[in-house]
Amino acid sequence: MKATQITGRLWVLRDAEGTLYNDIDTDMIFHNRYLHITALAQMGQYTLDNLKGWEDFARRAQAGDLIMAGRNFGSGSSRQQAVDCFRALGIAAIIAESFGAIYKRNAINSGLPLIAFPELSICGVRFQSGDTLTVNFVTGEVLRNGAEPFQAQPFSKVQLAIYEAGNLFEYGKTAER
Amino acid sequence: MGKTFAEKVLAQKAGLKQTTAGQIVTVKPDRLLTHDNTSAIAATFRKIGVARVADPTMNVIVLDHVTPAADETYATSHQATRAFVAEQGITAFYDIGEGICHQVLPEKGHAWPGAVIVGSDSHTPTAGAFGAFAAGIGRTEAAAVMATGEIWLRVPESLRIRLHAVLPSRVSAKDVSLYLIGLLRADGADYCSVEFAGEAISAMSVGERMTLTNMSAEMGAKNAVVEPDEKTFAWIAGRVSQPFTPVYADADATYARIIELDASTLVPQVACPHTVDNVAPVTEVAGKRVDQVVIGTCTNGRLEDLRVAAEILRGKHIAQGVRLLVLPASRENLQAALAEGVIADLIAAGATLLNPGCGPCLGAHQGCMAPGETTLSTSNRNFKGRMGSKDATIYLGSPATAAATALTGVITDPREA
Repeated sequence: MKATQITGRLWVLRDAEGTLYNDIDTDMIFHNRYLHITALAQMGQYTLDNLKGWEDFARRAQAGDLIMAGRNFGSGSSRQQAVDCFRALGIAAIIAESFGAIYKRNAINSGLPLIAFPELSICGVRFQSGDTLTVNFVTGEVLRNGAEPFQAQPFSKVQLAIYEAGNLFEYGKTAER
Repeated sequence: MGKTFAEKVLAQKAGLKQTTAGQIVTVKPDRLLTHDNTSAIAATFRKIGVARVADPTMNVIVLDHVTPAADETYATSHQATRAFVAEQGITAFYDIGEGICHQVLPEKGHAWPGAVIVGSDSHTPTAGAFGAFAAGIGRTEAAAVMATGEIWLRVPESLRIRLHAVLPSRVSAKDVSLYLIGLLRADGADYCSVEFAGEAISAMSVGERMTLTNMSAEMGAKNAVVEPDEKTFAWIAGRVSQPFTPVYADADATYARIIELDASTLVPQVACPHTVDNVAPVTEVAGKRVDQVVIGTCTNGRLEDLRVAAEILRGKHIAQGVRLLVLPASRENLQAALAEGVIADLIAAGATLLNPGCGPCLGAHQGCMAPGETTLSTSNRNFKGRMGSKDATIYLGSPATAAATALTGVITDPREA
């Protein structure tokens, strides 16, 4: 059984003016010039290298880190690499106000935890890169620096089942048994 | 209680009496569309450990993204796709030169009213112009559909857009789309099914309707649909061989939002760098110098689009210092445009003709930009770095705006051309 509660170091994706990035599209996450890459191990190095100010993210990130962004994270193309590059880096979860529709499915099916946090920009708290966040996938509770609790959306039933199985394929195997 | 198109079509497909937005259903899609990414999907499919695809007649495979292959890597990928097609006995395979998958799919009879289509490309909703439920999925999922023949879908909430009256001259479906995306923003229809209706939609050709459903991906829609009418049935006649049951939304269906627009008040629109929802009337950006103009792609590479461009460019020549790339959406469109003399007019005006396919839209070949350059394109995305250099900029507009811009070398209102 995989952990349904994780704790990790947070990266908050903001622009140079300090505004939380909305609409981070799949070309910013994994640029089309790398689309010929299909091996997971080669994907991590290019993660976010087309997002202004975050070009060197792959070198700064460590396995177990968490990412936070604004609305519509992962909009744009259906490219699987935009999900897999984070898996390659060992990113533990992505927290955003909302996600692009296809991106959300891709992530769920690949077992990458996505946390929808609709109240993010109105909760009155400025999350910072370097914060320690604990996220519970079952309850949707987000705990900042071990002290401040927030309520995000819990995983849906399908999302939790696929995550616990590992990915869509493993889930399919358990479903057929 | 009335039901939306999405609720009804997914109920029909899942064998349920009815469904409601939010419900998860499992369906066997009628078609699974994949393109150059078939080689990667096939590799994932093999890892599942199933020898044969669940139903080879479900698969429609079109090589379109980087065609002909730009280098050895792409050539090897295409080779792997051809081998997979032969091994699995897939008959609906369209090799390079046939066109863009979203255009080839309906042309070859794989889209019909009431069909459920999934595809490993974000612009799969295009097929909704034929009254189908068509949605984009990822590679992992496409491999799972190949293996199992099934997919889980969340019945989407619906948004209805009614377009009253008719569009003014030189204002097109593309302008409607850009205006709506500017209004709703890039996530305004996230996870939603978008239904287009109204007098202006009825007046549109099937090709123009495809522009609307294609662009709905840029407002986050899961799918988009135009109710089938005589134009739809005439278009698919002789292409679709199987019986089908059209699905129409109930008049009293429940919508998350209803948007009413007066088409007669619309003006040409342009999406400015670097997001599709950064939209302005063409009059506000007129005069901006461009290096390149692209007319084509799955959004605007059809015969009606090429005709509009030729009408503006016929007997004239594009401005000095501007490169005009024209790429028809399919072989069928290219042949029709050749027969009408449209291609001859465009070439005489200075256009560079590219083969049917995705061309420079995704920045892999055939017209990538250098740093500091600007392109006005009829495509659907202007993300930073989409067409080459990260330090290049992309504006999006209609075929008429593109043609008018190519003539002057600066973004130009097509109503003045």
